[in-house]
Amino acid sequence: MEILKVENLCKVYGSGEARVDALKNVSLSMQRGEFGAVVGASGSGKSTLLNCIGGLDEANSGNVFLNGRNIFAMGENERTVFRRQNIGFIFQSFHLIPELDVEQNIIFPLLLDYKKPNQERVDEILEVLGLTNRRKHLPGQLSGGQQQRVAIGRALITRPALVLADEPTGNLDSQSSQDVMDLLCKASRHYQQTVLMITHNMNLTSQADRVFQVTDGELIELGGVAD
Amino acid sequence: MKHYLDLIQISAKQHKKQNRMTRLCIVLAVFLVTVIFGMADMEIRSQMIQAVKSDGSWHAGFLVDEEQGALLKARPEVEHIARYGVLNYHLRDGYRIEGIETAVCGFDKELLEMFPAAELTEGTFPENTEEAVLNESAKTRLGVQVGDTVSMATPQGEMKQYYITGITKDTALEAEHDAFGMYLNTDGFSALRPEETKSAQEVLYYVEFRKFCNIQKAIREISAQFGLEEGQVRQNAKVLMLMFQSQDTYILQLYFVAAVLAALVVIAGIFMITASMNSNIARRTEFFGMMRCLGATGKQVIRFVRREALGWCRTAIPAGIIAGICMVWVLCGMLRCLSPGLFEGLPVFGVSYIAVAAGMIVGFVTVLLAARSPAKRAAKVSPLTAVSGNAGTVQAVKRTANTRIFKVDMALGVHHASGSKKNFLLVTSSFAFSIILFLAFGTAIDFMHHALTPLRASAPDLYIYKEDYTNQIPSGLDEVIIKYPGVKRAFGRGYAEFTIPGDGSTLIVISYDDQQFEWAKDSLIEGNLQDAIDGKGMLSVHREGNTFAAGSNVTVSAGGGEKETSIVGTLGDVPYSYGADSNTDSMTGMAVCSEELFRKLTGEDGYTVLDVQLNRDATDSQVQEIRKVMEQECGGSVAFSDKRIGNKETKGASYSMSVFLYGFLAVIAMIGFFNIINNIAMSVSARMREYGAMRAIGMTVRQLNRMVLGETMTYTVFGVLLGCVIGLPLNKVLFQNLVTSRWGDEWSVPGWELLVIVFIMLGSVCLAVMGPAKQIKKMTVVDTISRE
Repeated sequence: MEILKVENLCKVYGSGEARVDALKNVSLSMQRGEFGAVVGASGSGKSTLLNCIGGLDEANSGNVFLNGRNIFAMGENERTVFRRQNIGFIFQSFHLIPELDVEQNIIFPLLLDYKKPNQERVDEILEVLGLTNRRKHLPGQLSGGQQQRVAIGRALITRPALVLADEPTGNLDSQSSQDVMDLLCKASRHYQQTVLMITHNMNLTSQADRVFQVTDGELIELGGVAD
Repeated sequence: MKHYLDLIQISAKQHKKQNRMTRLCIVLAVFLVTVIFGMADMEIRSQMIQAVKSDGSWHAGFLVDEEQGALLKARPEVEHIARYGVLNYHLRDGYRIEGIETAVCGFDKELLEMFPAAELTEGTFPENTEEAVLNESAKTRLGVQVGDTVSMATPQGEMKQYYITGITKDTALEAEHDAFGMYLNTDGFSALRPEETKSAQEVLYYVEFRKFCNIQKAIREISAQFGLEEGQVRQNAKVLMLMFQSQDTYILQLYFVAAVLAALVVIAGIFMITASMNSNIARRTEFFGMMRCLGATGKQVIRFVRREALGWCRTAIPAGIIAGICMVWVLCGMLRCLSPGLFEGLPVFGVSYIAVAAGMIVGFVTVLLAARSPAKRAAKVSPLTAVSGNAGTVQAVKRTANTRIFKVDMALGVHHASGSKKNFLLVTSSFAFSIILFLAFGTAIDFMHHALTPLRASAPDLYIYKEDYTNQIPSGLDEVIIKYPGVKRAFGRGYAEFTIPGDGSTLIVISYDDQQFEWAKDSLIEGNLQDAIDGKGMLSVHREGNTFAAGSNVTVSAGGGEKETSIVGTLGDVPYSYGADSNTDSMTGMAVCSEELFRKLTGEDGYTVLDVQLNRDATDSQVQEIRKVMEQECGGSVAFSDKRIGNKETKGASYSMSVFLYGFLAVIAMIGFFNIINNIAMSVSARMREYGAMRAIGMTVRQLNRMVLGETMTYTVFGVLLGCVIGLPLNKVLFQNLVTSRWGDEWSVPGWELLVIVFIMLGSVCLAVMGPAKQIKKMTVVDTISRE
């Protein structure tokens, strides 16, 4: 089942001599439960691609369909609500809310919907993340690896169709990096969530189903051309 | 780039927007200080103009003999000296021109410079002993001109002839007592009554001291030199007070209040600048970390922050001072528009050097002081902070936001405000500071309303009264007078003194018509005004040890019999003093009643006093018409007091005091207003990265706005509470000292002041949220989260 479909995505920064084509007619599609990795040099356009897919940034042309809905056709507010219900974000520098404890940070997207979280689901996620005994800790009291696990929990709590991870292991040691990768794989395999991850580390791509490379704004699927 | 400090200019170009807020804070703080000091300076100048006009510019007067006068003149600190003597000051000694009591003054020509009010409107100052200057009133009523001759009868039965060389304006005192004034030179004055005027008791030496002289010290030395007693030395209290040369206890208290006020304003300025600089530095923690990482020492970082702050001063301080000066010009312009005659001496485009100096000092010193703590904080930033990418732009959080009581957006807003106790206390205190200031200085308005009695709606322009306090002005005369051109209102009052049988105390009773009862409404402390209007009883006037309490019955001895009436209420005060011949000790009380009850008690239906209020454009000839009618109706036994000059002077003083006090309250409100806007804008700017992350996760703009509103409301609610907890008792204490002790009005919660300041604060909250709301709406999530 096709979850994500990207069509002819173009993104341009600046104009005239300062013009930079960050994305050039990028197209790809991903199925439910697929784990994709995007690699590329710094400034190649990886993060721009992820931001456009997640609706954080607007493309100059092209479309992004998630579960059949074109996110660029939505208004700002609608897109925000759609994002928190259908896309989970994981950032390199975690971006946890410092005033909320581990459990509150994880259920934060649900709280934004003014919904009462399912406690069993929260307990399950905490268990999977290995943070049960840290649920009342504030982000400042956690290690980098633990903080990133909280960020993963926050990305998974709404059972989003798509999880976007931008260098999730960039700030972590090797053991923590492996833990994060295991969790993302689990999300893909166990919960059938589509995961698209940006990484610099080619070793990490071994766990991905598909690997894409972005070079100067153009996307190719390694071992074959993407759709 | 030749020096590491050159980075400041390069960085400033890149961070124009971020620095704009801090510059704005410095501009505002300097502006507020300049306006407050400028207004105070202009108020002092305008009060000085009033004081010189009404009391003269002399500093001290000494009752000394001629020999001592010569020694006094030779003293180095004496700038101007002029002799002055007066005969028949109380208008009962028998110096008369055409039968009318005349005050005779003799003085040196130099005195005219010290008394601008005595300025000649025509003619010249008398040169010899047979020449004299008359006042306007004498000129009009006698129908004489410069060049004519007048004769004055002395108590010794002599007739003295004087050639009129000039005319001068009436003084307030002459107009009020309907008196003639004759001015002679000192030789002429000596010739009039040599044996009297040569005595030290009659000739006063008015002295103006040189600039920068310690006047109190000079007075002490002169008194010691000539062995003068307290009664032989006079001081021009108002002028000396305005020159900060007074030793009067009450005036010293006023100086103290002014110093506290100035300190509070400076503290408010320091609060604003420190808060904005702290926030500016906090936003750039990683930048300073990077500098440290690249090898900058802690000292170099401190120097960087300080130099940067001084760079802001270069433009912000002049801007604040210019804006402040312009504001003071507007206020001076307002005063001149309100009362052009009185404030013509006030410069519209005057520059207050004190205000400029205060603005500059507060600006520079505050910025340097305020830069200390952020500079130290910046210097302490660990180099690791820059490289870890983990730098918290927000202070370390120690407890969790409460998402159980509030929804998550509101909970985070409340937590942003209350998360750091130190920050919460600082911001809340600064919000409360405005309320405390507003409530504390609100009492000055009450004081002003009480102290400037003639400004009341009931203040008459013409006060016509029976000197013997009999009710012989016909009761229908007010209806006649009101029909005359130039008359706005006329109303009479009966006057009676009763003895209270038993304790022998005296009760003075005054009759009011409906209009006067209407004016008395605001002074009612207790009881029922309508009962008094209906003639059911009297309203007693508050006085220390007053025995005529509301609800009690009072029996008075009247017309040989005893009559009983009741006290139906108490008035805080009435704008009339006790009768001239009355015993004003604690055994004397005062009450007002309706004309009907007054008739019943006294059997009389006339008035002792008839007050006339004139239209603004009423002319002197119209006043003369009224005088003629009064004389026809009441005969010669009625006294006529023209209070227009005195009223004008008091009105002028009141205008300038009002502009100053209300202006000051407006500035306090502005401090509160900008403080709220500034604090919230700073807080939002500091958390922009966090907001970006929240937007990325799925928080809507509306939810973010609600979060900012939650934060602002938390500060405001606690600020208002803290402000009330400290401000209300302070307001009560000040009110009791300034008003209750003198006029008896009981303190009550200052409802309107609270309402105004809370309304201003809520308005500020709305505006404070609007700015960041726009900023949040414009925010690009990608740029925000990937910044730094």
